[in-house]
Amino acid sequence: MKTGIIFDIKEFAVYDGPGIRTTVFMKGCPLRCQWCHNPEGLSPKPQLMISPAACIHCGACQNACHHKMCITCGACVSCCPLGLRRIAGTVWTSKELALRLLKNQQAFSGSGGGVTFSGGEPMMQWSFIEQVLYYLPGIHIAIETSGYTDVKTFSRMCSKVNLIMMDIKLINPINHKKYTGVDNDRILMNLKLLKEGNTPYIIRIPLIPGVNDDENNMEETAAIFEKPGSLIRVELLPYHITAGAKYSMIGLEYQPQFDTSAKPEIWLSPFHKRSIPTLVL
Amino acid sequence: MNERIRQIRSWQFEKNHHAFRQTKLPPIDSYRDKKLPDYMRTALRLKTALDHEKPVFAPGEIIAGTRTLAELPMIYDDDEWEQIGKAHYIHERGTVTNLSPDYGTVIQTGLLHLREQTDDSPYHQAMRISIDAVLDFTSRYRQAAADMGASELANILMRVPAYPAATFREALQSLRILHYAMWCEGNYHNTLGRFDQYLMPYLQHDLDHGALTEEDAMELLEAFFLSCNRDSDLYFGMQQGDNGQSIVLGGMTPDGKSGYNQLSEMCLKASADLRLIDPKINLRVSRDTPLDIYKLGTQLTKLGLGFPQYENDDIAIPGLVALGYREEDARNYAMAACWEFIIPGKGMDIPNIGAVSFAGIIHSVIREKLSEVHSIDELLPYVENKIKKTVLELAETYHDLYIIPSPFMSLFFDGCLKNKKDISLGCVYNNFGLHGTGIATASDILAAVDAAVFHGNISVSSLFEALDRNFKGFEELQHYLKFDCPKMGNDDIRVDQYAVLLLHMFSQAVKNLSNERGGIYRAGTGSAMYYIWHASSLGATADGRSAETPLPANWAPSLNIRLEGPISLIKSFARPDFKEAINGGPLTIEFSDSVFRNDEAITKVAQLVRLFIELGGHQLQLNTVNRDQLLDAQKHPEAYRNLIVRVWGWSGYFVELDKCYQDHIIKRAELTI
Ligand code: SF4
Ligand code: SF4
Repeated sequence: MKTGIIFDIKEFAVYDGPGIRTTVFMKGCPLRCQWCHNPEGLSPKPQLMISPAACIHCGACQNACHHKMCITCGACVSCCPLGLRRIAGTVWTSKELALRLLKNQQAFSGSGGGVTFSGGEPMMQWSFIEQVLYYLPGIHIAIETSGYTDVKTFSRMCSKVNLIMMDIKLINPINHKKYTGVDNDRILMNLKLLKEGNTPYIIRIPLIPGVNDDENNMEETAAIFEKPGSLIRVELLPYHITAGAKYSMIGLEYQPQFDTSAKPEIWLSPFHKRSIPTLVL
Repeated sequence: MNERIRQIRSWQFEKNHHAFRQTKLPPIDSYRDKKLPDYMRTALRLKTALDHEKPVFAPGEIIAGTRTLAELPMIYDDDEWEQIGKAHYIHERGTVTNLSPDYGTVIQTGLLHLREQTDDSPYHQAMRISIDAVLDFTSRYRQAAADMGASELANILMRVPAYPAATFREALQSLRILHYAMWCEGNYHNTLGRFDQYLMPYLQHDLDHGALTEEDAMELLEAFFLSCNRDSDLYFGMQQGDNGQSIVLGGMTPDGKSGYNQLSEMCLKASADLRLIDPKINLRVSRDTPLDIYKLGTQLTKLGLGFPQYENDDIAIPGLVALGYREEDARNYAMAACWEFIIPGKGMDIPNIGAVSFAGIIHSVIREKLSEVHSIDELLPYVENKIKKTVLELAETYHDLYIIPSPFMSLFFDGCLKNKKDISLGCVYNNFGLHGTGIATASDILAAVDAAVFHGNISVSSLFEALDRNFKGFEELQHYLKFDCPKMGNDDIRVDQYAVLLLHMFSQAVKNLSNERGGIYRAGTGSAMYYIWHASSLGATADGRSAETPLPANWAPSLNIRLEGPISLIKSFARPDFKEAINGGPLTIEFSDSVFRNDEAITKVAQLVRLFIELGGHQLQLNTVNRDQLLDAQKHPEAYRNLIVRVWGWSGYFVELDKCYQDHIIKRAELTI
């Protein structure tokens, strides 16, 4: 049986597809978007996560630790009386995960909802997800992906899920590499597959001030959807300063190279003139 | 909200009517007279109070009636009251409270019709004095309105509440005065009941005859709602806002039809439009309720008003029938001030007479018996006994009940006028209700002990030592008990089974128990302020709860635990059979305001509420809060005058609450999704 590594399971995720849904956050991502708000989803390994705000400095965690470098043994986690520490990244078997998700089935069926796989980048653990889906027949499945995976896996995924929510961050390949750490050629190739296929999909654009919120990038993005196929709509997600909140919890520093206090521009006309429905979240 | 309503709203929001407040109390000698029977004293006090009231009108007033007397002295002097207190059980302040009067009949017949049925018996005289006082008071309002040139208002006051209301506006004005007079009689938590049922005929009539457009009707309704918000600070309650001005919308009619009507919908919209704490809305729903109605309710939730509270007809009606309520009465249930099920015009139930602390019971059974048993199953008979014993002990204290009579209020209750029997002495239903506080924490304790002691390697003595030391030096054990043991609210049968069982034991414990008024006892899931009282005497508990952590309010999960999410929460808390424990007490879920960014989210929240109802949950109440907002409001109360939160059974202004309640709400907000 396959196993996967998961950093969170969230019930009643209201922005992850239709109806009442439970979202599974898969750990590990090949991209390094500077605006990522789930930094604990980047590494495919377990990580110690600390929420310091309520700490009473009882010292129990320090007494428990016998390591110079954290090996995520969890000893400090299980002695914090306030539960301020946790290991982000739990290993699940496909069957365990399916059973956990099926507990929410009643909520899914009455509302047109289901399960969403997000991350991190769920395509990194596609073979695990595919096995989970085997145990979830009849349940509406959505996936949130950057589209950064090989064409073969992507097309296989397209035939197995009911809704794809895919990010398009930047069209310009140089900027894409600069702000996300990877080229966008695979992403655009997979997007072509999506447009030609039958699986309903939603495009999501995080609007990052000074990075991709200019008219030119929006025009270039919209131009791709002259023949949108099964596109439901384009969702625009304006950047919010709270994106950086979790970095210090996993011992990282949040250092984006854009002005985090600026308000992103919202260009809807490139979409509207092509009759592409939009939604600003 | 049209311009006229906006004007009235801002007039009262700026507290302009406070300028008319009278601090000098009217003389007490007319009624505080040892020779007078108690009901006569109440009647004469009502007369004194109303005689001293001065008409006050907002600019452009539509529905008149603004209180100016800030205080109402007792009908007894301190000595007399002390003597009565020694000889009797006194519930709360000792007055008639928390009832659902039958406004519909009185609005429909008029006070003069009731007056005609009185004779010269002393009790009827008291009723007559009360009626005359209300009519005199109304006629002074009428005169003042006429002098001001408000002839339409003056004409209405000429007719109601003396004569049957003929129009929607007359019915609302009649209701306003009747309700006003109840406060002046010294009664409190005077609920407004099935407002949409008893007023719909008037609205329908006016719409059918072209006397009103829906817009006109909305203006009238909003004016009435505004009038409910004028005197909130004069009402007694545990905290400001706890005034019991609840209305009940929708639900089954006594003859078994759906009661949701145009007025129900208008009330939901008016409340969303005005964004004020009164009236507090209860929405009766059932398996057949369409999603659109839940969505309208959710629009109110989104505004952060702390209501509607939902009641499930599918559970409440059979539950009440099983307790002995007649079917047509059960179908006609309304809500008491917070969340107890009561019957309009027939119930003299005291649904909040006392409370059983489940966390306390389990805690003490564990302290006494844990070292003697080998499993939770062996412990359960002791738990059952202790619940029985606690219930019996409580019931024994409720004897020789004395309630100050209320001849005016009695006009609104079945048989009181005819039988010359005051409502304080009882009515058709005379049942007592007991709250069950901390059931989730109690279940968590059992599940944690089962895991730690019977399936783990924690010894009873070290568990007790940890509890005695409030977990100082036992951080690892506390973490284990609090975060690694099953918790109610996570759809986990290992712990939910205990909640099911405890509630069942509770309902069995009250079964066959009767009170001195010939009524029975009802078990429920509420808490009111008991959750604060019970927690402070408890110390640390074996679920990993520190001594200083409060117990959850009502039917809700323990505080400071990790929850899997709202779907699991709803499944856990819908699991027991509430038909046998239907005194009332809602599951409360706090939503972060961030949930509501778009309309799809409204639908989803509405679907979640519907799921709870479909699963057989009895009562649900949702809050919208933002934790940062609350913390900031503590620091800068002046900037948050409008911030409305739900406290236990009611919504109030956050900045007006005592700090301990504020802190509790902030703690709860940490559990939001
Ligand atoms: S998980 Fe905690 S105890 Fe273990 S190595 Fe890391 S810091 Fe130390
Ligand atoms: S154990 Fe928890 S509360 Fe104590 S010092 Fe460590 S993080 Fe703070």
